[in-house]
Amino acid sequence: MRRRGGRTTWAAALIALCAVLSFARPASAQGNVTAVPPLFLSAAEVGQIISQAVQEAQARGRPATIAVVDRVGNVLGVFRMNGAPVELRITTNRNIPAGNGLEQVETVLAALSTTLGVVNGAPTTDLSAIAKAVTGAYLSSSGNAFSTRTASQIVQENFNPLEFRAPGGPLFGVQFSQLPCSDFNRRATAAFDGADPANPLGRPGPKRSPLGLSADPGGIPLYKGGFVVGGLGVESDGIYTIDRIINDIDTSDDELIAVAGAAGFDAPVDVRANRIAVAGKTLRYIDRDRTDRNNPLASNPAAAPAFAAIDGVLGGRVGVRDYFSTGAVIVPAPALRDGTPYGDPTSGYAPDPTGEVSTFGPAIVLRDPTNLANNAFTPRAGTGPPGGLALTANESATILVNALKVAFGGRAQIRRPQNSFIQVTVSVVDVNGVILAMARTPDAPIFGTDVSLQKARTALFFSRVDAAAQLAAFNSPVASTVLVPPQPVGNNALGVPIGFYANIAQAFIQPSVFTDGTAWSTRGVGLIDRPFFPDGVDGEPHGPFSRPFQLWSPFNVGLQLDLVLDNIAQHLIFLRTGAAVETPMNCTYLPLIGPLGISQLANGMQPFAGGFPIYRNGVLIGGIGISGDGIDQDDMVGFLGLHNGGVALGTGVGHAAFAIRDDQLSPRGARLRYVNCPFQPNAGGNEQNVCRGK
Amino acid sequence: MKLRLLFLLLATAAFLPGLAAPAHAGKEQINQAANDGEEALLSDSEAQRRAAPGRPARDARRPTPTDNPGAVPPAPPNLPREFIPVPDRWRLADAIGVVTSTIDPYKQNMLKGDRPIFGKDWFVNLSLISDTVIEPRRVPTPVPFASSQFNIANDQFSRSNQLLINENLIGSFSLIKGNTAFKPPDFELRISPVFNYNRLEVDEVGLTDANPAKGKVRNDSHLGIAELFVDYHIHNVSERYDFESIRLGVQPFNADFRGFLFQDSQLGARLFGNRFNNKIQYNVAWFRRLDKDTNSGINDITRRVRDDDIFIANVFLQDLFTLGYTPQFTVIHNRNRENDRFFYDDNDFLQRPNSFGDERLRKYNVTYIGWNGDGHFGRVNLTHSVYGAIGKDYNSNFTGREADIRAFFAAFEPSIDFDWIRVRGSFLYASGDEDPLDDTEGGFSAIFENPQFAGADTSYWIRQGIPFIGGGGVALTQRNGVLAELRSSKEHGQSNFNNPGIALIGGGADFDILPELRFSTNVNYLMFADTSNLEFLRNQGEISNRIGWDISGAATYRPFNNQNIVFRLSGAMLLADEGFKRLYSTEDEDQSIFYSVLGNLILTY
Repeated sequence: MRRRGGRTTWAAALIALCAVLSFARPASAQGNVTAVPPLFLSAAEVGQIISQAVQEAQARGRPATIAVVDRVGNVLGVFRMNGAPVELRITTNRNIPAGNGLEQVETVLAALSTTLGVVNGAPTTDLSAIAKAVTGAYLSSSGNAFSTRTASQIVQENFNPLEFRAPGGPLFGVQFSQLPCSDFNRRATAAFDGADPANPLGRPGPKRSPLGLSADPGGIPLYKGGFVVGGLGVESDGIYTIDRIINDIDTSDDELIAVAGAAGFDAPVDVRANRIAVAGKTLRYIDRDRTDRNNPLASNPAAAPAFAAIDGVLGGRVGVRDYFSTGAVIVPAPALRDGTPYGDPTSGYAPDPTGEVSTFGPAIVLRDPTNLANNAFTPRAGTGPPGGLALTANESATILVNALKVAFGGRAQIRRPQNSFIQVTVSVVDVNGVILAMARTPDAPIFGTDVSLQKARTALFFSRVDAAAQLAAFNSPVASTVLVPPQPVGNNALGVPIGFYANIAQAFIQPSVFTDGTAWSTRGVGLIDRPFFPDGVDGEPHGPFSRPFQLWSPFNVGLQLDLVLDNIAQHLIFLRTGAAVETPMNCTYLPLIGPLGISQLANGMQPFAGGFPIYRNGVLIGGIGISGDGIDQDDMVGFLGLHNGGVALGTGVGHAAFAIRDDQLSPRGARLRYVNCPFQPNAGGNEQNVCRGK
Repeated sequence: MKLRLLFLLLATAAFLPGLAAPAHAGKEQINQAANDGEEALLSDSEAQRRAAPGRPARDARRPTPTDNPGAVPPAPPNLPREFIPVPDRWRLADAIGVVTSTIDPYKQNMLKGDRPIFGKDWFVNLSLISDTVIEPRRVPTPVPFASSQFNIANDQFSRSNQLLINENLIGSFSLIKGNTAFKPPDFELRISPVFNYNRLEVDEVGLTDANPAKGKVRNDSHLGIAELFVDYHIHNVSERYDFESIRLGVQPFNADFRGFLFQDSQLGARLFGNRFNNKIQYNVAWFRRLDKDTNSGINDITRRVRDDDIFIANVFLQDLFTLGYTPQFTVIHNRNRENDRFFYDDNDFLQRPNSFGDERLRKYNVTYIGWNGDGHFGRVNLTHSVYGAIGKDYNSNFTGREADIRAFFAAFEPSIDFDWIRVRGSFLYASGDEDPLDDTEGGFSAIFENPQFAGADTSYWIRQGIPFIGGGGVALTQRNGVLAELRSSKEHGQSNFNNPGIALIGGGADFDILPELRFSTNVNYLMFADTSNLEFLRNQGEISNRIGWDISGAATYRPFNNQNIVFRLSGAMLLADEGFKRLYSTEDEDQSIFYSVLGNLILTY
C-alpha cells in the first residue's frame, strides 16, 4: 500500500508531519496560564447549582445539605433540604473508639456540652458540606481538577489506599489545613476577624474551613470557561468519612448529587484527576459521571426548577455562623451571594502590584485586607533572631523570587497538559514564624497558600533547639480549665500529653533529637509522622509523631491533630451553641513567641514534603515552604529556591550544613530523607539530579 | 483406560501440591534477579536436544540450521527426543567389549539411557547441570520514597551498580519405555527439579525488598520444578513413524522459533504429532500457568495456579514455499481472569494488577495470530515472526473502561555465512499504543517472552530489566525481554497493551575463531514506537522515542568441543540517546554508561 503512493504520498506525509509537529502542543494550554480571567459564580448561578443538586437528591430519595463556595472559600450558599440529616457523624468506619482524634468526636462533644451545660456542641452536616465544597475549590486549578475523592486517595496510610507496602499518601496530613484556628486563613465575618465592615464577605483572602479539607466523596470543583470559580459540597448521609476501598466503582449519593449540581460548571475532562498520574498512579476524581455509558443520575439537571421555586419549599437556606451569616446573625439565613473573582483584589488574590516579586514571572500575591491596593506580604526583614542574623527584606525577596523562578521553569507533576510549568505558593518566615514574604504563580491551587506557610513553619519549628521544650509547654485552656474534670497542663482535651511526642521521638531516633538543632525538612518530619515506620511498611510500628495503626486514621493522625484538636473543638462548640468565645486566630496552645505573640505553628503543623529551615552561617533564621504541585516539585522549588537565592545573595544564607540534616539519622535502620527532587524537572530539558550535592 | 489412568497420575502430581498449599503470601518487584534459572535450564535442555543425532530438523538438504550463537537455541518442541541410531546396541556393544560405566556419560551408561534399566525397553536417563551466572551491571536505580542508603540523596536516581550471582542446579530424571532407536518412545516420565540460589547486591535500599529497612543485599533460594510430565505415544500414523503423542504436565514450550511470544515451562496438556514424513508437524495445547518463584523465576508449585489459560494450535509446514524454509502458522488465545485479588511477590511489590494507572483489577482476552518462519533462501538464512494481537481488556488501566486490543509485532533476522563468519541483521517492531486515553490498546505485549534475537541475553536492553522509575511499579522492559511492555514483571504480571512498543534495528556477526571458541558481536539501535503512554504515566511531555545504541560482544568457550563445559563471557553497554536520558540518570556521573557483564559457566553431566 505504501509503495503505491510513491513520491507524492511521501511529500504529503512530510508536510502533514510538519503540520502535526508544529500544532501538536498548543502553547495556549490552560495548565500554563499566566493570567486568570476574573470569572466568578453569580448568585443566580449558585441558585441553579443548588437547584440541580436538590433535584437529584430528591430523585434519589436522599435529602441533602448542599454548600457552594467560591474559589477562595467564601460561602455563597448553604441549603438544607427538608428531611436531610442535621447531625454529623465523623468516622472512618474502622471501629476506632471515640476519644481518638476526630473519630466520633460528636459523641465527645455532645457529652462535653452536657457537662458544660450548653446545648449539644456536636458538628452538623452544613459544616461537612462547606468543608467538601472548600476542598473541591481549593485543590483545583485550570490545570488540575481534584475532588474530595482525590483527597481521600492521597491522605491515607498507603498510596494507593490499602496497597500493601506502598508509602503513605503524597499529601498526607493536608486534611488538617485551612484550619478554623488559622492565623492566616481569613474569617468571613468582621465580628470574628477584626473590623472590615465594608466588605460583605468579610476580609478578602482565603477562608478557613470548619473541618479542614475533606476526604469524603461529595465535594467537587466548579468551573467556568476552564477556570475554577468555586466548589460544591454535598452531605446526604450525615457521615463524614473517607473512601478506603478505591478499587471498586462507588455509587455515592453525595457524589452523584454533586455531579448533578455541577452540570454546566463541570471540570474540563482533560484536567480531571483521573488523567493525572502521580508516581504512575492515576488519581480518582469521581467514580461515576453523567457522561458514562450508563448515566447514573436519577434526574436531568437541565430540567431543574428555578432556585426561587425550591427555596422554602423543598428546604431552605441555612445560616452558618461566620461562614454564611449576616455578621453573627444566622437567622434568617442570608440570600445567595456572588462569588469573588480570583485575581481580583476583592478575592484577596491579585497580581503583584509593584512587580517586586515578579522578577521571573507574573506572580500573584495576597492583597492587604486593609488596603487592597497593596501586597499583604511585601518582602520584609525578619523579627529574629537577634544580632543582625535575621533575614533582611532583600534576602526574603531574593529567596522568594528564586523559588518562583524554579517554579516557572519547572515541569509540573499534577497539571495537564504535560510540561505545564509548576504552579505553587511560596512562603518565607522568620525564626518566630512571622511571614516575611509570600507569593504564588498565577494559577496555583488555593490550598497551597496556607499549606506552604504550614510547611515553612513546621520545618522551622522542628529544627529549633527548643522544639521539644515547646511541645512540653503546650497549655490548652480548653483542656486545663474548661474541661470538667480538667486535664493536667500539657495535655490536650482528649488527654494526650503533647510533650510526650518529643519523648517518644527521642527514644525512637536518638535522645538529643529536637534539642540538638538537627535540620528537619517537612519530608523528614513526615517520615516519622506515618503510622508505619518506614513509611508504608505495613505491620511495622508507628512513627513517633503518629499513632498505633489500630487507632490511626486520617481523623486521628497523632501530633499534627492533637496540637489543634482543642481549637477545632472550640470552634465546633462555637458554631453549634453560639458560644461567645471563638477559638483564637492562633492554632495550637504552644507558647506564644515573637513580636506577634503567636504560637510557632499558628496555622497548624503540616507533615509532607516542601518545607525547609533557613540558616545563616549555621544559625537557624527562618523557614521556607512550598505547596501546590507534586511533592517532589514542591520540594525542588523550596530546595533550589533557597539554595539559588543564597548563592545569589552571598550573605551566608542557605540550607543547613550536610552534617546536621535529618538524612543523617537512620532510626531503626531506615535513613530519613531531606529532599527528593523530581526526575527531569525542567520541561524540555535533559537535566537530571538537579539537587545533587546541594 | 490407560490414558485416563495417566491423566489421573498427572493430575495428582501436578495439581495437588498447588491446591493443597494455601495461597502463598509472596510478592515481588521489578526484579533484576528473576529468571536466570529458567533461562539457563531451557538453554541447556535445548542444547542437549540439538546434540542428539538423527534429529529430523537436520534435513540433509539443508545446510546447518540457523544457529544463534551465544543464545538459547530455539525450541521446536514437537520433535521426538534422543533417538539412538543403532538398535540393540548394548548387546552389540557387549559383544565387542565396550566398557560400561555409570560415571562417564561417554561410556555406555545405564543412567544415560544406553541400556535398559529393567525389562527389554525401559530406560532411565539422568542428568545434572550446574549453571552459574555472575553478572555485574548498572541499571537505573530509584531512591525509594521512604528512605535511602546514602545521606544527601537529594534526587530520584541513586547509584546504579548491581551484582547478581545466580546458581541453578538442575537435575533431570527420565523414565522411558521404548525402542529408543528409530521409533519414538512409547512412554516417558520426566521430572526435573531445580535448586536455585541467588544473591543480589545493589547500591540502594528499597530495591531488593519493598521494605527499605531490609537493606541492599538479598539472598534467596528456591527448590522448584522445571519439568514434570508424562508423555504418551498414542500411535504411529505411518511406516516412517509419523506419530501422535500427548504430553501432560509441566513441560517446556516455545510458541515460535525465537521465543517472542511464549516460551516457558508450564503446566499443560499438549497433543502433538507429525505427518507426511515429518513434513507437517503440529501442536494443540492448553496451558494453565503456574506462578513463579519471584527471585529465581522457577515454577513454584506451592502457589495457587494462576487463573490464566493459554490455548495454542499451530502447524509447521516444511518446505512450503521453497525447499529449506519452514513456516509455522499459529493461533494462540490467552484468557486472563486474574481480577479477583491483589497479588504481591516475595519482595512485597504489587504484581497484579500492574501497579500503575487506576490500579483496578483487570481481566482480558487476547488472541494472537502468527506466521513464523525459519529456513533459508539460497545462501540467505531467514528467521521471522509476525504476530497480530486482537482482544479485549475489560478494564483499561488508564481510562477505567473496556478497551479493544489491536497490536502487532514483526521480527526478521536474515543472516549469511562466509566460511567461519556469520553476518546477521536484526529487525524488530512491536507496535506501541498511540493514545493512552482512547478505547484502543495498541501496544504489543507477549505472554512470556524469552527472545533469542539480536544478541539475546548478551544485549543490554534484552538482558536487563529496567524499572520505570517515576511511572509506577512497573518495568519499562523485562529481564530477558525485548518488548517495552510496562508490566510489573514477566514472572507474575499480566500482559499490558498500554505500552510504548519498540523498534530495533541491528546487526551482528559471529566468528568461529577456534573450534572451541566463538566470538559474537551485536550492535542494535532501539527506539520506542510511541512514547505517549510513557508521557502520560510520568506526566512528562516530549519524551523522545530514541532509546540509544546497545553494543555487545560475547565469547563462548567450549574447551572439550562439547556441551559438558561451556563458559561464556559477555559484555554490553547502552549508549543512551535523548529518550532514555529524559527517563533515567544515575546519581554518580561517573556511572553514566549503563553496562551489563555476564559470566556464565555451565557444567553438564
